[in-house]
Amino acid sequence: MARLGMVIDLKRCVGCNSCTLSCKQENGTPAGMHYARVVTREVGSYPQTRRTFLPLLCNHCEDAPCEKACPTGATYIREDGIVMVAKEKCIGCRACAVSCPYMNRHFIEKGFLEHGYAGGELSPFEAVKFGAFEEGTMSKCTLCAHRVDEGLEPACVTTCPTEARIFGDWDEPEGKLQKLVRERNSWTLLPECKTRPKVFYLDA
Amino acid sequence: MAATHSTPIAPSEGRWIPSTCGMCLHGCGIKVQVVDGVAVKIEGDATNPDNLGKLCPKGNAGLARLYDPTRVLYPMKRTNPEKGPGVDPGWERISWEEAYETVARELGRVRGEDARKLLCAIGDFQRILLWGWPAVFGSPNFFTSLGNYCGGSYHPVNGSLDGSFAAINDYEHCNYWIQIGSGDGFSSHLHLSGSSKRMADTRMRGMKVISLDPRCSIASAKADEWIPILPGTDRAFVLGMAHVLVHELRRYDRKFLREHTNAPYLVDEKGFQFRDEQGHALVWDLAVHEPRPWDKVASDSMALEGSYHYEGRELRTGFQVWMDLLESHSPEKMSEVTTVPAATIRRIAREFVDAAQIGATVEIGGKMYPYRPAALNYYRGSQSHANGLFDNLTYKLFNMLVGNIDVPGGHLGVPLDHRGFFVSPGEDGMLKPEPHQLHPAPPFKYPPDSTHLMEWFPIGFDAGQLNAETILNPQRFGLEYQPEAMMLYHSNPWWNMPETNKIEEIFRRMKFIVAIDIHLTESTQWADIFLPDRTFLESTLLNCLEPPVVTGHSLRQPVVKPLGDTRDAYEILTELAQRMGFLDNWNDLLNLVCGFTAKPKNMLDPEKRYSAEELFDRFARNIYGDDHDLEWFREHGHAVRHRTPEETYMPYGKLRIPFYFEFIKRTGEQLRGNLEAAGVTGWPYENYAPLPYWKNSPVIEDGRRGFDFYAITFKEPLHTFADTLVMPWLSEVSEKDPIHQGILLNTATGKGLGIASGDWVRLTSPAGSIEGMAQCVEGIHPQVVGVSNAITREFVTNSGVRAKGSHFNRLLKGSLDYTDGATGGLESSARVRVEKIAAAGWAH
Repeated sequence: MARLGMVIDLKRCVGCNSCTLSCKQENGTPAGMHYARVVTREVGSYPQTRRTFLPLLCNHCEDAPCEKACPTGATYIREDGIVMVAKEKCIGCRACAVSCPYMNRHFIEKGFLEHGYAGGELSPFEAVKFGAFEEGTMSKCTLCAHRVDEGLEPACVTTCPTEARIFGDWDEPEGKLQKLVRERNSWTLLPECKTRPKVFYLDA
Repeated sequence: MAATHSTPIAPSEGRWIPSTCGMCLHGCGIKVQVVDGVAVKIEGDATNPDNLGKLCPKGNAGLARLYDPTRVLYPMKRTNPEKGPGVDPGWERISWEEAYETVARELGRVRGEDARKLLCAIGDFQRILLWGWPAVFGSPNFFTSLGNYCGGSYHPVNGSLDGSFAAINDYEHCNYWIQIGSGDGFSSHLHLSGSSKRMADTRMRGMKVISLDPRCSIASAKADEWIPILPGTDRAFVLGMAHVLVHELRRYDRKFLREHTNAPYLVDEKGFQFRDEQGHALVWDLAVHEPRPWDKVASDSMALEGSYHYEGRELRTGFQVWMDLLESHSPEKMSEVTTVPAATIRRIAREFVDAAQIGATVEIGGKMYPYRPAALNYYRGSQSHANGLFDNLTYKLFNMLVGNIDVPGGHLGVPLDHRGFFVSPGEDGMLKPEPHQLHPAPPFKYPPDSTHLMEWFPIGFDAGQLNAETILNPQRFGLEYQPEAMMLYHSNPWWNMPETNKIEEIFRRMKFIVAIDIHLTESTQWADIFLPDRTFLESTLLNCLEPPVVTGHSLRQPVVKPLGDTRDAYEILTELAQRMGFLDNWNDLLNLVCGFTAKPKNMLDPEKRYSAEELFDRFARNIYGDDHDLEWFREHGHAVRHRTPEETYMPYGKLRIPFYFEFIKRTGEQLRGNLEAAGVTGWPYENYAPLPYWKNSPVIEDGRRGFDFYAITFKEPLHTFADTLVMPWLSEVSEKDPIHQGILLNTATGKGLGIASGDWVRLTSPAGSIEGMAQCVEGIHPQVVGVSNAITREFVTNSGVRAKGSHFNRLLKGSLDYTDGATGGLESSARVRVEKIAAAGWAH
């Protein structure tokens, strides 16, 4: 048992989007689809202006509305807390996408896998990676379960130049995650939705 | 082709091959996962102390370059003789034999007539060993602005100061970091992945960052304080701070200036070093009240300040000369130039000198060093201007006031490569200045051989932007010939040079153009023959370029079978050299630039052809010994290690570094003598000055002609300056950020002009005009418009990317009056008029 999750240190993050691109190549998602991404926003008025960078990924909620909404049991939570989709059970009803307040569900439309980034033929890379998707089913961030299962960190964590994404197990009282939220001010996205995210943010 | 996977590919599948990233020039360590012959993942190499397993977004997009479906994979010839933007070249696939035969014939003919008629644009930094090919061909011409756009004044000053090529503050020990016009540690420049990690660690331990920039860059967004400033006036801000240190606070590192610089050396009425009859530089000896040779006086007896009458002469120390110059640079005066309040200039100056801890020392590795944990770091934005030499000198001198050059916590030189700082003794106990590190200093010549007038820039870089000035006005500069052929090798001069219309005219005049590249660009679509190169994932080389805290080579090696029928650029150039009959000269040059001449057993036989693998096997053994051959690198990936404290901190020992840059003044006087004897008039000598001061630039003067706004361009970490802008993986992400969606304008300014986000606007400068969608933001100076490089490409072959066409370089002047006369650095900002030409919804 474990409760795998992440702390994202907004003080360290410089909004470079390495996570976005690392996820892109790890998961080989079709054009326009990003499990990991960064939202940049301008705050304040000149000259007291700042830009903020908010890296996003699936929150792997403990109370995951997507899991509750799924009529077939295709969405499930692994023992280690990772929220997954079993694509063979998914009927493509998209109830999960509607229920996710974070817009972290990505539907593979019909025809998505026929075209690569350049529109035409699939590149050798796409030909290999698109095999993990199935048209008409839902896909999402798996916290790189296929890496975690081999003892590695998610791709976005491994590559992050500033080490702003920190991966760990919330069940370890002296682990990296619990330590960081004890030491710094932390919060989750949309707490009012009571989803109990396993991704926490530290103040910039 | 790999078998289709129905689940994500596990990291344990296939094999991981160590290599080197080629998505920018710097070359982080990578490892590439290959499954059934397909490259499926690139990660940072955690064993490489440079990037520590991290990778920037460009590096993470490397596979999209390898497998870019718009790559050119076969030699091609043009069938449509008509050329120009938007004209279909009618590409037709040909054999390598036909391609080589055509290029060797066409270039061979040029070479037979006058080899100088070839214009060369080479932009492949990692293959820097190949940059001498045009010289062996017989052409000195450098037809591109790349490098000069950022480093034209920067590199000569770093080399002249301490034998370095670049510079960075000491991530490990700095506590107070002023960042001016630079993305170091946040978004760009030296080895971004590792630098971002080091900067984040440094900030987490409490270092304060102050960022000056006209735009709220990433560095500014993350800094403790963002100070908006007008473009090209950063030097005035720093001169104002220097005034505060020298004239108001009177706090500066006297010991450092006396012991480690020529600041105490005496200067005569004409600005030359005052010497005795034997030629020794003299200092004022406070013990005996007379001038004595610098090496005969204890440093605490040397006068650092003061004016002295001696035998009818008026002498001042070099330091006093700058003090006198600085007197007129009060914060109030500099505030008028920069728009930064005088109180801010004073406050930052005081914080800086407080943080510098003048007098403190620290023990590192059993040795005592001065400890100066405050430093000013800078790059393109603050010095790629028409007075770039003065900009660079100002930033170096300001750092020198607190004695922080090349000491723990301070402003550290970064060497060009594994050779480290260029250190040899010069005159008067000084380090020998090394303004030229990429090629030997060009001797003066009239008439000039080169179209970019390199013979007239004895301490400068290669001022590519001057090509238009000389080629279109040959009589003004005495240019005796007209270029008629062009070689484009991984460079896009049509796009990267100022005054696009003039550059296009030169393209039109070419009788033959050959391109060596991996894809079609604004430039290569003009080619007659296209020779397809291999990407960094399909070729071999050893790379070590501008590593800030490490040294040593990292191997690039093929991770997959090359796609299509491509050739390594080294082998293309070698084949062409052989076909045109100068293979022997080419190998001789490689012997020199690879350092083989120092170990004759590694020298190439001039008559023999070598593969890239053979060349780099010798290269590896030549540097690291026979047990470190190519095979060793294939297995280990790299020989990168941290630079030692001895290599990092004052590696020149007791040799003094210049405070008073007399050699620049002397060089200018020699050039003046040469040019006047040749009858050349109107050459800009003014920047050959030993010390910097404020003077208006041509851009500021343009404000008087009704061009009331400043225009700047900028880049952020998703992109290199040009190359990645055509990659859908990256552009689809940058397109989501408002700052890369249009021409940035301060919201209040927009209101005043009746312009809102989404409106279509035109910018007009003295050089040209561009159009684009307005994007109103708070994070930009109200007198400045910003053009992200992400919206500047005019030609894209990839259907996943839209050419946005707001091509900033059309706004820049490339002429001599917008060029730094001493370094050849170009002016990278412009003055513009801003007008609304269509309301949102009616644009396009």
